[in-house]
Amino acid sequence: MKKIAKTINVSEIAERENSLVKEIFSPLSGMKLTMSRMVQNLTGQVSPTINYPEERRSYSDRYRGAHILTAREDGTPRCVACYMCATACPADCIYIEPKEHPDPHIEKQAARFEIDMLRCVFCGFCVDACPEEAIIMSRETEITAFSRGETMWDLVRLMKRPELKEFGMGYRPNETLVDSQVMFVPTEKVQKKMAGRITLKEDVEMIPNVTYKVQDDEKQ
Amino acid sequence: MPKITIDDLEIEAKDGQTVIQAALEHGLDIPHYCYHPDLPIDGNCRMCLVEVEKMPKLTPSCTTVCGEGMKVTTNNERVKMAVRGVLEFLLINHPVDCPVCDQAGECRLQDYYMVYGLHTSEIAMDMKVHKRKVVDLGEMVVLDQERCVLCSRCIRFFDHVTGTGEMQFFGRGDHTVIGTIDDRPLDNPYSGNVVDICPVGALTSRDFRFKCRVWFLNSTDSVCGGCSTGCNVRVDHRDGNLFRLLPRRNIEVNKSWLCDEGRLSFHELENGERLHRPMVKGEDGMQAPVKWSDALRAIDVNLKDCRQAFGANAILGLASASATNEALFLFKEYLKEQIGTAQLEFRLDHEDQKVTEKEDDILRHTDKRPNSMGAIKLDLMSRDLNGLDGALAAARDGRLKAGVIIWFKPLVRRDGDEQIEAKVAELINALQYSVVFTTHKTTWLKDANVVLPVTAWSEEEGTYTNYQGRVQKIGRAIRPKGDALPLWEAFAMLLETSGSKRLWLSAAEVFAGMSETIPAYQGIALEQTRLPGALVTA
Repeated sequence: MKKIAKTINVSEIAERENSLVKEIFSPLSGMKLTMSRMVQNLTGQVSPTINYPEERRSYSDRYRGAHILTAREDGTPRCVACYMCATACPADCIYIEPKEHPDPHIEKQAARFEIDMLRCVFCGFCVDACPEEAIIMSRETEITAFSRGETMWDLVRLMKRPELKEFGMGYRPNETLVDSQVMFVPTEKVQKKMAGRITLKEDVEMIPNVTYKVQDDEKQ
Repeated sequence: MPKITIDDLEIEAKDGQTVIQAALEHGLDIPHYCYHPDLPIDGNCRMCLVEVEKMPKLTPSCTTVCGEGMKVTTNNERVKMAVRGVLEFLLINHPVDCPVCDQAGECRLQDYYMVYGLHTSEIAMDMKVHKRKVVDLGEMVVLDQERCVLCSRCIRFFDHVTGTGEMQFFGRGDHTVIGTIDDRPLDNPYSGNVVDICPVGALTSRDFRFKCRVWFLNSTDSVCGGCSTGCNVRVDHRDGNLFRLLPRRNIEVNKSWLCDEGRLSFHELENGERLHRPMVKGEDGMQAPVKWSDALRAIDVNLKDCRQAFGANAILGLASASATNEALFLFKEYLKEQIGTAQLEFRLDHEDQKVTEKEDDILRHTDKRPNSMGAIKLDLMSRDLNGLDGALAAARDGRLKAGVIIWFKPLVRRDGDEQIEAKVAELINALQYSVVFTTHKTTWLKDANVVLPVTAWSEEEGTYTNYQGRVQKIGRAIRPKGDALPLWEAFAMLLETSGSKRLWLSAAEVFAGMSETIPAYQGIALEQTRLPGALVTA
């Protein structure tokens, strides 16, 4: 037996539900939203534009900005110059020179570690490849410089990061480990009603080196 | 000749061969740490366990001699379980410091873990037994006791190959370590070999330490240029820089070994400044850079003028036993056929006698030139001059007026090298017109009328003939520096300039030409000069 297809006649419903009240008030309700936004903009409560660089947008916690080389507790780099990041790097922008570490249990450390920030594509493969959590990423976006030479970030430049106060930490594989030790304590922000998307410069306390706490069982 | 079956592959093994030897010979891989083809069999690592039909237990294939009709299985679940177990035991106290370990990338623990292991370690890092790291064992070797799997290859090498017995096991149980008594440095001339035979990162090279991760390196097969033994080597290089030499196994020449001097010989090329441009001395007595073609035309014209004025035998050809056969052949071709001189010489210091003189019982020979036998076979020995001393005397007497001199500095240094170099310098000074083909700048080059840059070892293709008369192919690993040309190419261009009919376009072509005309090389194809090399006829 052939089934009869179920059909709905839309025009009938529209006719049935149509009313004069709706015809008059629906544009007005739309107008209300427009007007309220206009008032908010005029009074400065919500703004689609920001006063960069005094104000900055806050990026996601996984944002892949400029790299950070983390340090041991004594301030020396955690990097052991294993070249995993240089091997994984698709842009071939990492240059490393190793040297002997005085502690035989660490054995190797980087004498030079340079990232060509102009070549870097910020893919984050170096962070994934690193077996020592020595390279992580920040949310820093401003890597402009006056010369090409300045865009070659060396070991010191990658480790001493006072500007991270403004930007904060970005993509890193082991958040708990890093967070537990980064002296990155944002003070209470002044709650401004600004559509929840904009932060002013964060007033944070931050040591220049990002350091892990070596856990007791790892301390051998 | 027992017939055995390994994993459905029927193999005819040699008499007395063990299962692993038969398998490796036929391209089957059985995992192993302690077995090494050139060391006595020990059977301690238990990695090469295989199942043999009708044997109740698994048996190590390195100690099981092949028997007629033996059926061996290497890859069933039972064997894999056992191998995985062995591997887990070996890794119990392993520090897993692959990021800092120079062996990473060519480490057998890493390789077999990826094939057989892939287990999660049950042992926490703080439960592991810790041993000493970065123990200094002399010029060549750094020891890390934690990474060792106690395969005893190094111990057997010093016991049975060099006979010096420096290394030994110390301690018991999981506190067993390898080492030398009181950490005495290994000071025998073959100690670098233990770095190669160590299957893990316990013994690593002092010279190559932290220089480069191995996966960045490119390899070229070549022959060591350190002495007349002609050990087969693998040249590891990256971006035009040489990083290390490793022995290649050639059972007829060097087995799996290489002496320390040969292993480090490439550093000699880095000493001193390289010559980059051809230089010709002008009328003001100063050398100025010129194009290759101009330099070669000047040489050809001047040598022919000299022949007209003083006769062909006033022209000396002093070759070097560090040059390839191809270069020496074209050298002879030019000076004998085009110039017509009989004063061809290569002996700087009695190489014809020293070439087969042994320096020790393992590899090294007294003659520190790689191709003396090649020069002998090409008959570059003038009865008249009888060596460099004779040439020098003849030049002082005024019997020799002009000379074409090839000078390579020896890659392995010995006492007396300075005197020989001084004699060559004196010879150039005594000659009225001299042409020098060389690699590095030296102070005495200013006396030469023409100086031509040629490629050094590892920068050119060709063949060397070792003390046995074995012709072996050398490969080009890196680019020449500056305008330097391979020596054979320089002489090929010189022949062309001089009006020779035959053109030589590649090293292979020169070798073919050589095997046509030189009786000793008759019937040898270039293909035969690869492993294990081709012997010249008498």
